[in-house]
Amino acid sequence: MSDFKKGLDALDSGPTGSPKETPRVAPPPEDLPPHPTVEALRAHFGAAVGRHEVVAGDEHIVYIDSAENLEVLRWLRDDPDQRYDFLQDLTAIDYGNNVSLQVVYQLWSIPHQRNIRIKIELPLDRLELDSVYYVWRASDWLEREVYDMFGVVFRGHPDMRRILMPYNYAEGHPLRKDFPLRGRFSRAEQTRRALSLKVEDHYSPAELEVATRLGQTLPDVTTEGGSGQPNRALAPPGLGGM
Amino acid sequence: MGLKINQGDGPDGKGRLPIQPGGETGDAQPGGLFSGSPGFLTTRLDAMVNWSRENSLWPMPFGTACCAIEMMATAASRYDLARFGMERMSFSPRQADLLICAGRVSYKMAPILRRIWEQMPQPKWSISMGACASSGGVFDVYSMVQGIDTIIPVDVYVPGCPPRPEGLIYGILMIQEKIRRATPTKDWIADEDLVEGLPTLAAETVDLITAPFGNSTNQNRSSGLTSTGALMRPSDRRP
Amino acid sequence: MPETKRRTVVYNVTRTAELGGEGGLVHAPIVPVEGEVFGDADADFGGEHMLINIGPQHPATHGVLRLVLELDGETVIKCTPHIGYLHSSFEKLGEYRDWNQIVPLTDRMDYLAPLIYNCAYAMAVEKMMGIEVTERCKVVRVIIMEMDRIFSHLLWLGTTAIDLGAFTVFLYTFQERERIYNLHEAYTGARITTSATRIGGMMADLPAGWIEQLKEFVRTFPNTLAEVETLLTNNAIWLGRTQDVGVISAEDAVNFGLSGANLRASGVSYDIRKDRPYYDYETYDFDVPVGEHGDIYDRYLCRMEEMRQSLRLLDQAINRLPGGPINVDDPRVILPSKTAAMNDMESMIHHFKVVMEGVRAPVGESWFSVESSKGELGMYVVSDGGSKPVRWRVRGPSFINIAALPHMIEGALLSDVIAVNASLDIVLGEIDR
Repeated sequence: MSDFKKGLDALDSGPTGSPKETPRVAPPPEDLPPHPTVEALRAHFGAAVGRHEVVAGDEHIVYIDSAENLEVLRWLRDDPDQRYDFLQDLTAIDYGNNVSLQVVYQLWSIPHQRNIRIKIELPLDRLELDSVYYVWRASDWLEREVYDMFGVVFRGHPDMRRILMPYNYAEGHPLRKDFPLRGRFSRAEQTRRALSLKVEDHYSPAELEVATRLGQTLPDVTTEGGSGQPNRALAPPGLGGM
Repeated sequence: MGLKINQGDGPDGKGRLPIQPGGETGDAQPGGLFSGSPGFLTTRLDAMVNWSRENSLWPMPFGTACCAIEMMATAASRYDLARFGMERMSFSPRQADLLICAGRVSYKMAPILRRIWEQMPQPKWSISMGACASSGGVFDVYSMVQGIDTIIPVDVYVPGCPPRPEGLIYGILMIQEKIRRATPTKDWIADEDLVEGLPTLAAETVDLITAPFGNSTNQNRSSGLTSTGALMRPSDRRP
Repeated sequence: MPETKRRTVVYNVTRTAELGGEGGLVHAPIVPVEGEVFGDADADFGGEHMLINIGPQHPATHGVLRLVLELDGETVIKCTPHIGYLHSSFEKLGEYRDWNQIVPLTDRMDYLAPLIYNCAYAMAVEKMMGIEVTERCKVVRVIIMEMDRIFSHLLWLGTTAIDLGAFTVFLYTFQERERIYNLHEAYTGARITTSATRIGGMMADLPAGWIEQLKEFVRTFPNTLAEVETLLTNNAIWLGRTQDVGVISAEDAVNFGLSGANLRASGVSYDIRKDRPYYDYETYDFDVPVGEHGDIYDRYLCRMEEMRQSLRLLDQAINRLPGGPINVDDPRVILPSKTAAMNDMESMIHHFKVVMEGVRAPVGESWFSVESSKGELGMYVVSDGGSKPVRWRVRGPSFINIAALPHMIEGALLSDVIAVNASLDIVLGEIDR
């Protein structure tokens, strides 16, 4: 019976607390297991490198200043001792309660067989970052997804559009904590909006350009908040009528 | 949908007799084809038309997710759909009679489903296969249609997540039963009043049937330090 | 990490489809015609491109994928995939579910290999919580993951063959899949949506007779595989449609983030079971096939060989299956036995708390990946100390694999688009999540 009592106490005492109440305090650097990349990063980039954490036993996280992310990530891919050539994942975390939003890059080096996680904290009123599209092409759709779900704009990305939601989705960025699970509009309104989309509303600007060259007029679909009706003002001159 | 299941009893409940006094139009032959009352000939014709329709349904598999895999398994050799006349799965809606919506439908996909349904010529029936197509299933979220009957008219709902192949076959047998009870000679063209750009049901009805119910209202963001159900965000209840 | 012997299996396949001596067919590659075929004068005929739309409702897109192609005749100038037609917001939904309640959600993402997703999720959360599962649980999870790898590859094989015109293979593979469906159902109660794992263990131990049924499958499955091989591997039509089609180089494949057989067919030897082994994979004796040409045919060969290697793994895992408990003995995560819960008050309260309030995880996070049948499946779980995650992120391999499709088919013919799309082995549930 005492096992169960211990179990109950463990359930009651639970975890140590959440970032809402206490800021996360990293253990002092001497206690962390070493990671060759971290030392090299600090040597190379100095002040742009923030704290270093180890979670889940062996996963290393390094925080980078948001202004330097492109240089740091490009160096991580190209430096012969680092060679993080495989971008495993690019995502974001919204902790809620107006704490900053973190953009997370999970990297793996195939030659050196090493993992590293780079995190960048962004203030909620300036969700912008440089795109790593030309460093790892895998970030093409991953950054579009982060934009779609969180609203982080990646400067320099050639095609910064929504990817999972419809292109003129007007309810916001779904994975933010202030976005309700069932969306902001009523179901009837969501159904009405969905059904009043013309099929042409699903085309990207490049495809529309081809269609225009072939002599068809189509609306501008990249503006949010549209009711799905064609925006004739943006059609090329002479082709405004449909 | 306009298909009326009409047993055709006479007004005095005497059942179907080949000879009826007059008819609705008055001048048509009693029991004749367009007299408005069923006669021997019309019921035989009905039965023949229904028999040929139900045994040669060409399904249009509108498969999106996991239910589509079960539908493929139903069409494969263990649970064969060909023995019900559904040898030819028609991927073009123009040549299909039965739309099997297998899988969850998102709001991005909804206009496509609607357009496919509108492209199907009559007579047409639809099966909503699985919990997600019937009511949204586990996905009571911002992007999922809470039941495709808000988008297109549905004849048979097959519950399950995913329904077993036997379940889908049962649903198809129900469609066949529905066809058997139809009176095509009287209702050659079904009324379909789908308004472009609007759901099939009125807005209030859509909101009513898609409102959160059961345990889903308690699924809110409580971070373990407060017991479930203590704090519910008001926005969780509003549809 | 000990140095693992990595043997690559190189296939000695003739690159041209010569079938026997006289009267044999010789593979004639299609070469572009030099010089002008259509003059400038005929601008309408020679110059106009066509914009066509494939999907999202289409039999050959393997789900609700939409491809918009700009064509010059039959040649693809530009391809843009559009996704999101199945976006079910699993990640948002996960933030409203307890750790164990998320397991049924994982089945519905990759519904072709649900047990792999169940295991990957449980493994990520257990890593975050610092829970080490029992030996029996490890071997059982290896068994079900390898079984589902075969399961998924069989569907891939059937649907790819049917896309390229070989209908019989579809029926053969689905008949084999029915046997695995029976195994799924005998163990978990469901054919597809298995939900077999829990944090700290499994939903239940293997039922009696299950291992014998699996052994029977392992014994007879190579015959079906051999039959399919005779239908496809040296078939002139198959070779003509798959060799040198959809080629991607090794550097491009790594830069695009491809994983699984797509990456290995291009010559990059990256398999998580070998590079970051989990559950004692370094102690099993198996090979990882690596191709060299990066075309569809190499992907086909890699996946066929992977099925055989999975059979080897299954053999070894079945032989080393230890006894003992299936669930870890940790009252924070595991429910007490029903007898105890019904008989004494404290167990009942314990049961109540774990079920009603959920398992609680400490503050922390973990990004953990396994080698799923489609590629590198990553699960990123972030906890702030509660019973529900702050963030649950799924790195679905198909999401990243399909983004490389335009790179592979620009310049190819229209019929190759379907073939390359099929060869990437995508499942829309994990693309759109």
